[in-house]
Amino acid sequence: MAEQPGELADGVRSVLAELGADAVVRLEPIPGGASRETWLIEAGIAGDRAAPGREGEEAARRYVLRRDPAGAESLASQQQEAGLIRLARKAGVPAPEPLHYEPAGGRFETAGILMAHVPGESVAPRLLRKPEYEVARGALTAQLGEALARLHSIELAAAVDVLGPPPADPVVTAIEVWEATLDSIGVPLPAVEAGLRWLRAERPDPAAPGLVHGDFRLGNFIVDESGLAAVIDWELAHIGDPVEDIGWLGIRSWRFGNDDRRVAGVGSLDDFLAAYAAAGGEPPDAERIRYWEVFGNLKWAVICARQANDHLSGLRRSHELASLGRRICEPEWDMLELIGTAR
Amino acid sequence: MTQDRPDAAELLQAVAEFLFAEVREWVPREKRFQVLVAANVCAVVARELRAGEEPLREDWALFRELLGEPAADAPGDEELADEVDRARAELAARIRSGQLDERLDELTERLRDHVRRKLEVARPGYDDG
Repeated sequence: MAEQPGELADGVRSVLAELGADAVVRLEPIPGGASRETWLIEAGIAGDRAAPGREGEEAARRYVLRRDPAGAESLASQQQEAGLIRLARKAGVPAPEPLHYEPAGGRFETAGILMAHVPGESVAPRLLRKPEYEVARGALTAQLGEALARLHSIELAAAVDVLGPPPADPVVTAIEVWEATLDSIGVPLPAVEAGLRWLRAERPDPAAPGLVHGDFRLGNFIVDESGLAAVIDWELAHIGDPVEDIGWLGIRSWRFGNDDRRVAGVGSLDDFLAAYAAAGGEPPDAERIRYWEVFGNLKWAVICARQANDHLSGLRRSHELASLGRRICEPEWDMLELIGTAR
Repeated sequence: MTQDRPDAAELLQAVAEFLFAEVREWVPREKRFQVLVAANVCAVVARELRAGEEPLREDWALFRELLGEPAADAPGDEELADEVDRARAELAARIRSGQLDERLDELTERLRDHVRRKLEVARPGYDDG
């Protein structure tokens, strides 16, 4: 992201002018996005358009631009992502409002969405340790249960309108997606291979398919001092078994060291499921959750391998990505432990 | 084996401590995590150097056993890396093909040793508790 944002700034300015904001004051990359570039934008507001009586407030509006890095693609396109976020907001899931989409070759250069900026913190260790988020930590487990239940309440037909028809067997498709990702990297990982065979052998009974966020975990939640403010990063969204989201949320990597607090490092699975059920979600049985937790660990192992490979191949040189190659063994271990307890 | 002390692992450990204890405090807040990652990478490499080739030899023997290959003397230093790569790739491919499905319980049990050896270098203590 070392490029000069000059042309991008021109494009953003032109889009913002249509939205009633003025000159771009600040355009800077937000670090952390693995497969999308994220930019924070500050724009001034013209005097005659500024809300009356609010002169004392900072005369700037903040936006976030998410766009594809050149040459990269993801499971859900930017346009689909915007469509899903609109559905989710309508269903009562807190998520940043998409304001404008530009296709590849448009004013954001690559495909991108300009979104409202949601103030708050998303960096997991800060959320788990800083005293100012103590109230938020207490509220988060139930808020996540409620948000996920609402997300899963989105009608299949509406999700299909955005994403296309669901696969015939969502579980097999989920396995195949990550098997193919592993093959595209070409790294032999015997434990992951054994996990893939286990997942094929132990498939649960088919579930009613629904919208799956695909990356519902600490790190993708914007949290303010009172708790959940937005669910972000919808790029892995797909149609499948909704319990996939619960398994992924619970894997040990997303507890960031608070190993005994299974949900996002802040709460218990029981409290989460109680809130999920209270908001209309169908409580899944423990076996199905464990199945998707095995899957989640396997998926994270493959993502670690892919990130390391992005560094090794020269696509994105970064010691941070490189280091993930040596973290593959963490989800591998958790996966084998979970498989062991299922025996 | 080193020319003079500190040896490679000791040097890396010193850099890790410097990054962790000092550099982390100086850099802007948004770069702290990356300094932490750098410190951790140095510590991983230091542990790998200290562990030497023993973990690779143990993996080699495990992979061969799971492949049903006869026990053999471990290869010499020059061939070890290639031999481990070969056995690992063959085992991964054999598992994928479904030929070992009958022994999946045994595999997921025995591969814990392999993963444990990786954790000892990359993240000691992760497999406790």
